[in-house]
Amino acid sequence: MGRKKKKQLKPWCWYCNRDFDDEKILIQHQKAKHFKCHICHKKLYTGPGLAIHCMQVHKETIDAVPNAIPGRTDIELEIYGMEGIPEKDMDERRRLLEQKTQESQKKKQQDDSDEYDDDESTASTSFQPQPVQPQQGYIPPMAQPGLPPVPGAPGMPPGIPPLMPGVPPLMPGMPPVMPGMPPGMMPMGGMMPPGPGIPPLMPGMPPGMPPPVPRPGMPPMTQAQAVTAPGILNRPPAPAAAVPTPQPPVTKPLFPSAGQAQAAVQGPVGTDFKPLNSTPATTTEPPKPTFPAYTQSTASTTSTTNSTAAKPAASITSKPATLTTTSATSKLIHPDEDISLEERRAQLPKYQRNLPRPGQAPMGNPPVGPIGGMMPPQPGIPPQQQGMRPPLPPHGQYGGHHQAMPGYLPGAMPPYGQGPPMVPPYQGGPPRPPMGMRPPVMSQGGRY
Amino acid sequence: MSLFGTTSGFGTSGTSMFGSTATDNHNPMKDIEVTSSPDDSIGCLSFSPPTLPGNFLIAGSWANDVRCWEVQDNGQTIPKAQQMHTGPVLDVCWSDDGSKVFTASCDKTAKMWDLNSNQAIQIAQHDAPVKTVHWIKAPNYSCVMTGSWDKTLKFWDTRSPSPMMTLQLPERCYCADVVYPMAAVATAERGLIVYQLENQPSEFRRIESPLKHQHRCVAIFKDKQNKPTGFALGSIEGRVAIHYINPPNPAKDNFTFKCHRSNGTNTSAPQDIYAVNGIAFHPVHGTLATVGSDGRFSFWDKDARTKLKTSEQLDQPISACCFNHNGNIFAYASSYDWSKGHEFYNPQKKNYIFLRNAAEELKPRNKK
Repeated sequence: MGRKKKKQLKPWCWYCNRDFDDEKILIQHQKAKHFKCHICHKKLYTGPGLAIHCMQVHKETIDAVPNAIPGRTDIELEIYGMEGIPEKDMDERRRLLEQKTQESQKKKQQDDSDEYDDDESTASTSFQPQPVQPQQGYIPPMAQPGLPPVPGAPGMPPGIPPLMPGVPPLMPGMPPVMPGMPPGMMPMGGMMPPGPGIPPLMPGMPPGMPPPVPRPGMPPMTQAQAVTAPGILNRPPAPAAAVPTPQPPVTKPLFPSAGQAQAAVQGPVGTDFKPLNSTPATTTEPPKPTFPAYTQSTASTTSTTNSTAAKPAASITSKPATLTTTSATSKLIHPDEDISLEERRAQLPKYQRNLPRPGQAPMGNPPVGPIGGMMPPQPGIPPQQQGMRPPLPPHGQYGGHHQAMPGYLPGAMPPYGQGPPMVPPYQGGPPRPPMGMRPPVMSQGGRY
Repeated sequence: MSLFGTTSGFGTSGTSMFGSTATDNHNPMKDIEVTSSPDDSIGCLSFSPPTLPGNFLIAGSWANDVRCWEVQDNGQTIPKAQQMHTGPVLDVCWSDDGSKVFTASCDKTAKMWDLNSNQAIQIAQHDAPVKTVHWIKAPNYSCVMTGSWDKTLKFWDTRSPSPMMTLQLPERCYCADVVYPMAAVATAERGLIVYQLENQPSEFRRIESPLKHQHRCVAIFKDKQNKPTGFALGSIEGRVAIHYINPPNPAKDNFTFKCHRSNGTNTSAPQDIYAVNGIAFHPVHGTLATVGSDGRFSFWDKDARTKLKTSEQLDQPISACCFNHNGNIFAYASSYDWSKGHEFYNPQKKNYIFLRNAAEELKPRNKK
């Protein structure tokens, strides 16, 4: 592509500003994302075509192109692939691209797959520390087919492979499942064959692109060639490199050096994990990773990527924290407090009625007070507090019995019921307040 | 003909005793209903391991009971036995040899239920409800791992009243999964820790959560060599993250997907986002199932990154799910999970456990 009057060097979608390797893919994208009828899912060819279809078949009017960015939703503009794009938008695009070439594309990350669900950009970009270039329209759902640029990130410090330049692994362009997927995680492998005329890895690859970063074992060249084929996930030069060897079959130890860190106790261990013969176990320090670069980068990646994620939409300030459950476009079907559903439910007196009390009658819900104010006042009583007074030995009523607790010796139990249903529960423990559901039968037997 | 075999078509035959009334939506998928289901919400389900011939299902409920059924090939479910705790049962699991069932409860204890003798004894004690219980079978040790809201993870030799080991968690344990030699624990405040269990359990890595909302369920998946290699984590915000422990390219290999949401983005009404109550991986295909507060279950292929199927909507949330040891049966429980608070709780409403033939629907999508 050397013609001066090139439409932007790469085909791009006017409706959502995404880049594509190939016009064919662009068209498939448009059909799937912008010209698809939301009622019957029929894919039309153009915006006006979709409008007419909806009107004739479903008797519904549609006034905006689905999944289009604001300003580009005109349903009456007949755009097909790259044809029909107004000249001024083309110019704007060219300008933006130039700007971008300077700082090169930021990493782009595809979190969500098209096939799974559509997505809002914020929610999905959990790995994406940077704001997406507006023009790229990094709309998560649409993985940019082979958007090489991203990798370019000059900032890409070598050794941070994971920092995802963002080759969206999925090539949503293809409505059906990811073609490029197979190697799936191994982008590197074989560079996507299908790529129609895969342009060499981004000629545009900004010089910033760190040359084959010394990835452990990553053949430098791979980057250059790499991918680009639509769907090649592998874009990011350096990072991608990571792939090389680990073609699926290679089994890397899940926890490298796990053995060493533990003083390799191979023999039988006693009840406290100390080997029965002798060697004292070492401390439980996380084993050193065999591939330090990876693990670190992974760690740093996750940390960086999550830094922008910040706290969840909810403001988790202090207990009881609350969630932001409603927003303009969505509503979280969950109680407002940021405690789990089970914790909330367990606070109800109904579910605390039968909890063992140290020799007391069944009791409702003692106020949390005695707990020494561990929990700031909460709507209910945090489960931890259920009747367990702190002063009590941690094991509650069982504490004192532990030593003598025959319960722990199998076979010392008086046979309780043998019949299938309803076998009295505990074998041990002081008589408890009769459970709401069971006859006192068990207390008798259970006494120790 | 075996209802749950791979060659048969499962279907409406079976013990569905609740005829299909026109408006009744409690079983829109027409799956087999388990008889004598618990009287209150079902919090956990677990099928017996392959070491036991046949299929036995265990369910723990908020009625403080743990029930056991035998599931026969023709779809019949026969209640076998029951045990009680003094508080709601939050988690259940089997020992590897299928002779014991471990149960974790709000009564701050975990018990070991010997099925042969039908006796249950307490084997663990915490300072707060025990949320998770898992059996660990290592070459040089075996133990029970319990995670609790008291922010500890304890490992118990069932013969001793004191834990073999106690590990501190950053926050209350919300969910966990164990596939030797890996254990994954998710806590409140979006905490996420992976442990390695070789020689003895130790913390391997604390991971920054790939999700922005409260963690709710976690399930470990294995690679082609049958070794655990990552996990799926579900949150209350209708989203699941697939996370590999040592991926070649984390940014590309790890991803999240949305699920259990209502309405499309095309409609004007705000989208309802439901919690993911459970995730289970098919033991043979490696594909996964998710169940949500929206009352639907979905099957997904994480490698092809596609959805395989979504069910019709049940009239209650689906609170738990699991596969049997060979992946022929998918069990899911329909009962209220408290997602809409106390107001929507109807104690009269029946709680169901459904069984579905999972041999065909969870086959991975062919990748191009």
